[in-house]
Amino acid sequence: MAMLKVNGNSYFVDDTPDTPLLWVLRESMQLTGTKFGCGGGYCGCCTVHINGEAMRSCRIRLGDVEDAIITTIEGLDPGSNHPLQKAWQKEQVPQCGYCHSGQIMQAAALLADNENPTDEDIEITMRGNLCRCMTYVRVKKAIKTALEIKRGGKF
Amino acid sequence: MAPKFSRRGFLLSTSMVGATALISTSGMAAGKQIIDLLNPNSPLMMPANFEPSVWFTMESNGRTTIHIFKAEIGQHVGTALSQIVAEQLCLDWENVDIDYPVMDSQTFGKYQGQLTGGSYSIHEMFDKLSRASAVARQVLLEAGADLMGSEFEDCRVADSKVIDDIFDQEITFSDILSETTIDYEILEDDLESAPLIARENFKIIGKSIPALDIPEKLNGNARFGIDAYVPNMQYAKIIVPPTRLGATISSIDDNAAQNIDGYITTIPVSFPDEAKQGGFITDIPVVIAKNYPAALRAAKVVNVEWITNANKDVSSETLMDGAKALIDTKSEGIKYFTVGRLDDLDHSSLLNVEADYQTSMVAHAPLEPANALARYVGGELHVYSSHQGGPLIPMYLSMYTGVPAEKIIFHPHLIGGGFGKKFEFEAIILASIAALKTNQPVKLIFTREDDLAFAHPRTSTYQRLSAFVDSKNQIKGLNHEIAAGWIVFDKFGLIKPVVNGQAQETDERLQLFSLTGSDHWYDIENTEVIAYRHKQLEDAVPVRAVRSVANNYTVFSLESFVDEIAHAVGADPLNLRLSMLHGKGVNAGGDDSNLYPVGMKPFLNVSPLQRSASINGGKRLANVLKLASGLANYGASVLPENTAHGIAIAGAEERTNPSFSACIAEVHVDPGSAAVTVKKLTVAIDLGLIVNPDGAKAQIEGSILWGLSNCLHEKLTIANGAVVETNFDKYKWQNIMNIPELNIHIVENGSYPSGAGEPATSIIAPAILNAVFNASGARLRSLPLNRNELLQKI
Repeated sequence: MAMLKVNGNSYFVDDTPDTPLLWVLRESMQLTGTKFGCGGGYCGCCTVHINGEAMRSCRIRLGDVEDAIITTIEGLDPGSNHPLQKAWQKEQVPQCGYCHSGQIMQAAALLADNENPTDEDIEITMRGNLCRCMTYVRVKKAIKTALEIKRGGKF
Repeated sequence: MAPKFSRRGFLLSTSMVGATALISTSGMAAGKQIIDLLNPNSPLMMPANFEPSVWFTMESNGRTTIHIFKAEIGQHVGTALSQIVAEQLCLDWENVDIDYPVMDSQTFGKYQGQLTGGSYSIHEMFDKLSRASAVARQVLLEAGADLMGSEFEDCRVADSKVIDDIFDQEITFSDILSETTIDYEILEDDLESAPLIARENFKIIGKSIPALDIPEKLNGNARFGIDAYVPNMQYAKIIVPPTRLGATISSIDDNAAQNIDGYITTIPVSFPDEAKQGGFITDIPVVIAKNYPAALRAAKVVNVEWITNANKDVSSETLMDGAKALIDTKSEGIKYFTVGRLDDLDHSSLLNVEADYQTSMVAHAPLEPANALARYVGGELHVYSSHQGGPLIPMYLSMYTGVPAEKIIFHPHLIGGGFGKKFEFEAIILASIAALKTNQPVKLIFTREDDLAFAHPRTSTYQRLSAFVDSKNQIKGLNHEIAAGWIVFDKFGLIKPVVNGQAQETDERLQLFSLTGSDHWYDIENTEVIAYRHKQLEDAVPVRAVRSVANNYTVFSLESFVDEIAHAVGADPLNLRLSMLHGKGVNAGGDDSNLYPVGMKPFLNVSPLQRSASINGGKRLANVLKLASGLANYGASVLPENTAHGIAIAGAEERTNPSFSACIAEVHVDPGSAAVTVKKLTVAIDLGLIVNPDGAKAQIEGSILWGLSNCLHEKLTIANGAVVETNFDKYKWQNIMNIPELNIHIVENGSYPSGAGEPATSIIAPAILNAVFNASGARLRSLPLNRNELLQKI
């Protein structure tokens, strides 16, 4: 029995310590906003925050994060009003939407660390978050929109 | 708005089918009585909904729910279809909801197809929905007028209200449906005379309304197929066979798996040969466990002995050699698309240009892998998944499970990327068999390795083009030979040979979706497309429709070749193209119904309006080409060294629903390293009529970058009969780095809408490789772009 702190709540799960965090979140806890894309850390669909860092939950073992603070897309903002979520809505970023939990979580970690990312910062941070609908133009644009919202711009 | 038919007509047609009268009497009296459990002596009345057609339901609270039978793959189809309904029904957009109803064995017939692909959805549904909604508006107008005591000729409908301007009174749809019950089902005759709102008066169509499916995709609430859940479900994982097709199970040893906590069993799923035709399914062990990680662990230690066949010697190279040999030996070619008589052309004094092209396989690789949850309960098989062909599921699943089709129910979920891949039935079949065998609900999830090993890629092709050009730089004859595996979709997409626009009465059948795009819009007196079916490839790899389908290879070779001809005769590629785009003969467009596949009338051949989607074909192609070249300043801009423009055009998706598009690519080639940088892609595209401009633009953005990814990165390889690249460390595609500037111009000429989801994909690669030639002098004739080859040629 392992205890996990996810989105401000404590959960007991009976998965074995070597179970990838992704499957614990998705199947044991039914937090299905975090997506399975490749299992190898190549696509970024499963990105969550572990102690504030964006990490691939498919490559993290349950046993390694028992004491960590974990945030998934469901817990990013209680009213879905994170500047990135607002910006994603304004720019109509998602198509199928499957990768965008991961895209938003990856971008959220960037915005928390860097108040004024350059285009290059954005590209380098987001390059491991693949989008098969190829919404990249809007992802870039929405990150910039989110920066403006964060700085007090009104939308 | 002028109503064309009267209430009398309504009552008449109503009485003809024995339905009840248009309007019932007082208030809720006609609603359904339901028992109040707190006080059984005091029944409650459930208000009746107004359901004049199968496409939407109107409630007395004013809400209208539009039923979306098309799959939501990210094209925001629910929003666009709802805009069409809301426009003709004159709804206040705030009152619009959508749902995705369950599908059963009746769905396919009742809703006429409803498969989601081919960029057909708007093309297929626009007229149907418009007419049904317009008739329903008229019924509401008459009901509202009646309730207000107004003459209905004095009334109009706007924003979910019936308004009488003369007596200055109005009544909302909500009030109408609260006060009366309208029991009316729209008839075919009504549709004929539907009082359609004209395009110039549109208020909702043509607006970039935010997509209804986006908010839930931003906070984890969206439910994709892979998120499906029922209590007590078991989990399943497949074990991939050693070759893509043709391997059968000899024996299974699961002793080691027995020690894994949660392991339940491994089911050896086998099918008779006839069930495996077309590569719809293959023999495969399905590992079942209490949770998915246990299934993953167990699958690693279950030992399967396989029997393989000749496919184990198949590779990408042998398949390409086989394709070339089909053309070299002219083996069983069938003429697909013929104009004039190329055989009779006296080419003794003409210049002959000839070139061969090759394209590799490309995988769909949607980020949501194949998955399905199946539950057999109460004699019914319920399937929860993400699928582009939902209405076909009862029929197909019945064949593979023995459960009667009328006992199979599909619960659609959002699709996490389709591109054609989610037309496959494997996951649904396997999960269902596992659920039936274990008598428990089973959720099957393919790993990425499973999903790519089970690729249904775009076929690789070998193509040969040959042209005869006269001294005035006119192409007098064009021959296009295509050796490709054909998509096998059972009965779908088969077509008769077409000569001068007429389908030929022969027994020969061709796979339209494997050839489309070669049936070009150029005015060339003698043109001929010959198709060679690559059966060896089909036996080894089940090739299917991948975004923009055959256009990707036919347009690549044709548009590269047009540039090669231009360079051979010293003409400008732009001028050469424009000289052939006058819309002559078959290229006038307006009715290509001879190119509708046999057996596909339910989807395509609905109304004269729909058949008119290609009107002014060649001229529209000329127009977008002029536009794109103007926007890109083609031929007039001063470009940096080793940088050049390249052109390509197409009328994808098919001649029957063409979106006329042109691309000007600006590309830099570093002569030292052969590094190719695509700096800018300018695309002009004519969609006929646009329902949601921003939604259409999003689809075009995605299509363009798909084309870029296909051109620069994507190559699925076969070795020893199996897929080589089974995860994204090896199967490479476009990420957020090095995205070129996109300049997209959408043309709306007001003709019947075609489609936006795919067409721009096919013009990107030829435009880029034409630009590579203009920048470096090196002609590349294969996809994807091979930098080593380029380096050698520079």
